[in-house]
Amino acid sequence: MFGWVVLGLVVALVAYGIATYNGLVAGRNQVGNGWKQIDVQLKRRHDLIPNLVEVAKDYMGYEQETLKQVIAARNDAMNAQGPAATGAAEAQLAGALGKFFALAESYPELKANDNVRSLMEELTSTENKIAFARQHYNDSVMAQNNRIEQFPSNVVARFGGFGPHEYFEVPEAETAPVKVSLR
Amino acid sequence: MSTVVGSGIAATDFLGAARRNRRNTVTLVVVMIGIGAVLAYLLGAVIEAGEGDPRFNPAASGVGFGFAMIMIAISLVWTLIALKAGDRIVLRLVGAREVGVDEAPQLHNVVEEMAIAAGIPKPRVAIIETDALNAFATGMSRDRAAIAVTRGLLNTLNREELQAVVGHEMGHVLNLDVRYGTAVGVFVGLIALLADGILRLGRFGRMGRGRGNDKGGGLQLVLLILLIVAAILAPLAAKLVQMAISRQREYLADATSARLTRNPLALISALEKLGASGVPFAQANRAVQHLFIVNPFRDFSAKASALMSTHPALAERIARLRNLG
Repeated sequence: MFGWVVLGLVVALVAYGIATYNGLVAGRNQVGNGWKQIDVQLKRRHDLIPNLVEVAKDYMGYEQETLKQVIAARNDAMNAQGPAATGAAEAQLAGALGKFFALAESYPELKANDNVRSLMEELTSTENKIAFARQHYNDSVMAQNNRIEQFPSNVVARFGGFGPHEYFEVPEAETAPVKVSLR
Repeated sequence: MSTVVGSGIAATDFLGAARRNRRNTVTLVVVMIGIGAVLAYLLGAVIEAGEGDPRFNPAASGVGFGFAMIMIAISLVWTLIALKAGDRIVLRLVGAREVGVDEAPQLHNVVEEMAIAAGIPKPRVAIIETDALNAFATGMSRDRAAIAVTRGLLNTLNREELQAVVGHEMGHVLNLDVRYGTAVGVFVGLIALLADGILRLGRFGRMGRGRGNDKGGGLQLVLLILLIVAAILAPLAAKLVQMAISRQREYLADATSARLTRNPLALISALEKLGASGVPFAQANRAVQHLFIVNPFRDFSAKASALMSTHPALAERIARLRNLG
């Protein structure tokens, strides 16, 4: 009788261990996939920017400085590695883009251009996608980190070598509204 | 911080609202299966009483239990079949036309944004050519879903509001409401079918097979009356439960939209525009009314929270959204 109870407990324990381990693997994959989603959108933004700047050049002759800033920020962002560095570089880029969008407001011909309009929509959408992908990534990271830190799943996590993941954080610059100077 | 608005969800957090809602739905589905099982049990008990066995106990009728089991089994099998069969039919039913990226780039972008936020594959995108303001989602699984909006909606709402509406539909996809709705619809249909059959049998007196000369006959008569009352009430009760589930899922989809967009205010202003629009929706079909963001057949103000409606009153939905924001 006692033997059966022990056996039952062992079986339950092993079953829990397997289920938790598999859950952790699924969570790690979800985090990895979430990061790839962000990467796809960041790359899309990097691809769109030169096109937009190329078209905008013809209309915004006096804003060369802003256009150069956008391109420089884009190149920095393309070279950044890992969530933390990427977050900082992308924040720079988003800031520069925000400035560009604000300036574009005062060029009606620019905004009337069909090509520019569709590029703007694509960029706006890409900005949103980045934000949503980040939201989803961070939610996945939180769920996974909770599992890794909470008892009793943390025992399985340590056994299986699961480490906590890094959040994709964006410094103040991007979250703050873009300042427009009316010189 | 949390204030109670109306009955039900008194939530300020999205996840809590979603959890409570899922629990409510499970309870309602269990109630639904219970109604069907009770009806089947009564039918079995009446038939067994008709056999005239003196040891018959109406509270433990073997035939009754058997019938109840069969009813539950049929419900499950039928549900599976319904889930396998068509979801493209629904799109055709309301006259939605699938559109490519070139035709509606912004709509495609918005749908893709919401799919990313939800972490699911991008659903197919369709447009319904009408000036009415509405949107709906279909698809039995997250991998094979479609979201359709009306032309009027595209022309009237701004980008953020469109995003909120698409977020609501994405909520239906994410929460598998189409699957729920189909399953529940099957239960309602089954119960109605069984009840109908019982009433028909009762009318032709086929169940009075018992000789009617011992006390088994009296017991059978009582059971028979019970059965007929149940056969009349069950379909009604099932319908009520179905509508209650539908309303819960609408609240959940609203909460999901707010979670995905982090912008409940956009959904509020979209719902206000939808409510203010008086354009009728001619192509809508009653069979799929629960899939739309606002019920195409009702005016939303007055008794919209009545027991027989698929959607809660707009004012109530907006009040709960304000709670989240």
